[in-house]
Amino acid sequence: MEQIARAAALLGAGICMGMGALGPGLGEGFVAGKACEGLARSPENASLITRTMLVGQAVSESTGIYSLVIALLLIFST
Amino acid sequence: MAQKKGSLLRYLFLFLVIEVVLIVLSSGLNKQLQVGYDDTGKFVFQNVEKEYDLQDKIQEEFQPDEYAKQNGISPKFYGSSALYDFFAKIFGKANAISAFNLIRMLIIVDLVLLLVAFLIKKQLFEKPSKPQIIFEMIYTTFEDFVKDTLGKEKLHFTPYIVTLFIFIWTCNMIGLVPIPGFMEPTRNLNVPLGLGIMAVAVVHYMSIKTKGLGKYLKDFTQPLPPMTPINIVGEFSKVISISFRLFGNILGGAIIVLVVSSLVKFIILPVGLNLFFGIFVGTIQAFVFTMLALTYIGVEIAE
Amino acid sequence: MISESILQITAYLGAGIGVGVASVSAGIGEGYTAGNAAHSLMRQPKAHDTLINSMLVSQAVTETGAIFSLVVALLLIFGGFTDPAGGWFKAASLLAAGIAVGLGSLGPGFGSGYAGGQASKSLARMPKHSNEITGNMLIGQALAQTDAIFALVVSLLLLYSTPNQPENAALGTIILKSVAFIGAGLAVGLGTIGPGAGIGFVAGQANGMIGRFPKERSAIMRNMFLGAAVSESTAIYALVIAFLLIFAI
Repeated sequence: MEQIARAAALLGAGICMGMGALGPGLGEGFVAGKACEGLARSPENASLITRTMLVGQAVSESTGIYSLVIALLLIFST
Repeated sequence: MAQKKGSLLRYLFLFLVIEVVLIVLSSGLNKQLQVGYDDTGKFVFQNVEKEYDLQDKIQEEFQPDEYAKQNGISPKFYGSSALYDFFAKIFGKANAISAFNLIRMLIIVDLVLLLVAFLIKKQLFEKPSKPQIIFEMIYTTFEDFVKDTLGKEKLHFTPYIVTLFIFIWTCNMIGLVPIPGFMEPTRNLNVPLGLGIMAVAVVHYMSIKTKGLGKYLKDFTQPLPPMTPINIVGEFSKVISISFRLFGNILGGAIIVLVVSSLVKFIILPVGLNLFFGIFVGTIQAFVFTMLALTYIGVEIAE
Repeated sequence: MISESILQITAYLGAGIGVGVASVSAGIGEGYTAGNAAHSLMRQPKAHDTLINSMLVSQAVTETGAIFSLVVALLLIFGGFTDPAGGWFKAASLLAAGIAVGLGSLGPGFGSGYAGGQASKSLARMPKHSNEITGNMLIGQALAQTDAIFALVVSLLLLYSTPNQPENAALGTIILKSVAFIGAGLAVGLGTIGPGAGIGFVAGQANGMIGRFPKERSAIMRNMFLGAAVSESTAIYALVIAFLLIFAI
């Protein structure tokens, strides 16, 4: 029974990381795409736009980090 | 131009066809051409029937300690054995091989950088040499980035940023040198994690220095007091994201090169793979790590 | 030990899922590129040479993911993996290999198609800068296809480097290992969808903007590299988890 629980944890780790990587990837790509557009339209604000882009991506990536942490916990601590 | 592009595509297609033919021809054979001295000291030039086990190879390359323990063989390392014994005595036998190899590679990277710096410094006051021009170009490029992000009065950050870039780039490139035992130190999680913790520590130090301790602590409760735990987790996620990105890219590249090369019998394709995953990805990741460290500082001292 | 037919079932199932899912995105992406190219031809009929060249190159790159899954499916069907000595370990890893490469080609296909379509639009607007636009399109698509390469490598690892089931394996170990392999396939398959599509969106926007403001090319490309590399990080996490599930369990 313990082995089955651990097997479920491993499957859960895989699904957790897979699904958790889906959203942030799409979102961060959208951020970067729009930043490219903005940068082209007003190049004098380039550094501000790049900074905002990186900060926005860092925030949207936090859900990906949560998935990573949970997946690592599921693999190593069950 | 269209003519040139067409011929390039044709060459690429030709290479692919040669590749496929060679793979198809060699797939049934389990032999490897061996040139060199064998164990008895005799020079051999022959086809050797060899069982190539991919999983064994990967474990030997990436988990040397486990491999040595499971197969009951003596640890395989590069360098002097007296140094290794000394090392194993201090740090314990459990992870001795990988730690030894890692520290050996880090010392080699440091020596290379010191040597380059020494050579450039020697020629500094005569006419500028080519390497000097290259390094000055790198320096001025990053100086512009620092100027854009932090402002003119914070230019003293440039040496840190440039050091970070050159160190990570050299670490990523040194795995391409075809000497036995050479690997990227960034392939081991400890190196990117250390660099990431250092970068975030600099961020927090600068934040306290410019804002004062009170405002620094108060910023954690922005925009609402219940958000405090999320802000604190966000600081940790900075370290994790910045270091895992570098580590995963380099490790993934190394595994991909090993797996695909062994599947195509080390013919032609590994060159392109090493170009892409070694040089292109290595340079981009070094650049991204540096820019992220710079941006984190820039966000904290923006006001 | 299990019978050969179970291994055949999982291998054929994996092959079917892989090629079927991967073809969806390749088809949609290439269609988007071709549609945009046709629309651009209407606006700029003189540039038909460069337009059609760029469209074909872009479609070839977009199809890479589908070709990867085709290769894996052919290996699954004809590669001789149906030796019953493999046991449940091999059965699970064959299915997981198909899932990984199939799902993993979804995102890069959409993304590369979007990048190619935007490049066609830009070409119609600025036929003079065709070299810059095509070069940028190829770089962006290469970044997006990195995710498909991750999925391919994980599925090759699942095919070639998973162990056979030992003779006297306990039931618990069998379940554990088999489920871990399927988890690895799901992790890298699902995890590369988002980053692949996202990087494609970045490359597409960058292409569109280079077509409008060719002077800002270097700044746009720098931003594109940064944004794409950061978007890729979640795919890297998925790759790390997949490696752990394959090797560390």
